[in-house]
Amino acid sequence: MSAEYVVYFQSTHDVIKAKKELQQACIAHEIIPTPKKLSSECGMSLKVEAFVLERVHEILCLKGVRFKSDLL
Amino acid sequence: MIYFDNAATSFPKPKAVIEAMENYFFNMGGTTGRSGHKMALEASELVFNTRESLAQLFNIKDSARIVFTKNVTESLNMAINGFLIKGDRVITTSVEHNSVMRPLRYLEQAGKIKLYVVQANQAGMVDPASFEDILKKESIKLVVFSHASNVTGAVNPIGPITQIVKSYGSNTLIDAAQTAGAYPVDVEADGVDMLAFTGHKALLGPQGTGGLYIREGIEIEPLMRGGTGSNSEREFQPELMPDRLESGTLNVIGLAGLGAGVKYVLEHGVVNLRQKEMALTESFIRNAAKIPDVRLYGPKDANNRVSVVSLNISGYDPAEIAYILDRDFDIACRPGLHCAPSTHKTIGTFPQGTVRFAFGPFNNIEEIHTGLTALSHISQKEGDV
Repeated sequence: MSAEYVVYFQSTHDVIKAKKELQQACIAHEIIPTPKKLSSECGMSLKVEAFVLERVHEILCLKGVRFKSDLL
Repeated sequence: MIYFDNAATSFPKPKAVIEAMENYFFNMGGTTGRSGHKMALEASELVFNTRESLAQLFNIKDSARIVFTKNVTESLNMAINGFLIKGDRVITTSVEHNSVMRPLRYLEQAGKIKLYVVQANQAGMVDPASFEDILKKESIKLVVFSHASNVTGAVNPIGPITQIVKSYGSNTLIDAAQTAGAYPVDVEADGVDMLAFTGHKALLGPQGTGGLYIREGIEIEPLMRGGTGSNSEREFQPELMPDRLESGTLNVIGLAGLGAGVKYVLEHGVVNLRQKEMALTESFIRNAAKIPDVRLYGPKDANNRVSVVSLNISGYDPAEIAYILDRDFDIACRPGLHCAPSTHKTIGTFPQGTVRFAFGPFNNIEEIHTGLTALSHISQKEGDV
């Protein structure tokens, strides 16, 4: 199993926007509570597998979603 | 009952609005952004979808620039109090609702701003050039005006006014209470800086919903600060939109209904809905003008108005006319000053006011005929109840 990354956000609005964009692009993801170590600004984050991370970055940047990502 | 009070609040609402609220109440129930469970996620998605639908309707690029409020009054107060600082100069018009006039007059009286009021003509129309007369002489921070009057129905053209305002480096705040959902609004094309709207009129949502659009590049001070579900470890308000201006639990059930209302408007098309309402309005105006002793106010050309018509019958107090219409004909309309004393002063109907008829997407021509028959009947009688 490849490494997992957490994509986290400052606002719930961006979580939902990201979720919808990834759904549309058929990229597997899961909504998880933001791990404490990330001291995120929003309680919900997205979990994705390492091999899609680059594509996730591309899509979210293109769509103007404000996010950060880190190894889970 | 015939409902001609759609400028106050629209009735009935589309069935989909009630169904969306019922579905939220019975099957969803979570709140947005406060937890990570499925129910919270569903609520967050619902609110997101309503924001996106509004962005589509007003041609807003980034829906995060829309913040939800409980009504257009809150939106206007948020924009006026959050954008203006001591010493600013502001222009408004003589045909504003008190939701614009009172916050501005308060700031003027408190010595915080200098207020200039552009005079509309007797039909309630504002000449875009009259803004320029002031903009040429003074450094103006903000121009606030209603897209359409809630008394005369007169429409102020957003594009030409905004163009003038922008050419002087100033900003616009538009009160779209009477036009959001009833008349096309395109914030990108018209370069609108801030747009205040309500959910319970032509957007066909429930009361308790409204919003404010603030274009990117403009940051305003929040009206309230508090919990946003984000940045929770910090004791200071987050900067990010929409959280910066949206403290406290949102009216999720209301936003479920508003989302369905906006969807209804998008599906039917603002232009089509307007066409239908204006056909009724034109018929009403054309025939009401033929009734003896009836005096109509507002622009003659239907292109310059929304489906709001004010009138008086000689010898009658407007309240008396509305009372007879309600008591004898089961017709609901609104008499008086419509929270817009300045507008009534402008059109010469202060302090008695007018009787206002406001048609909506669910009115039909038979109802218009019934209304006209009732007015004829009243005009033939003496002014006693």
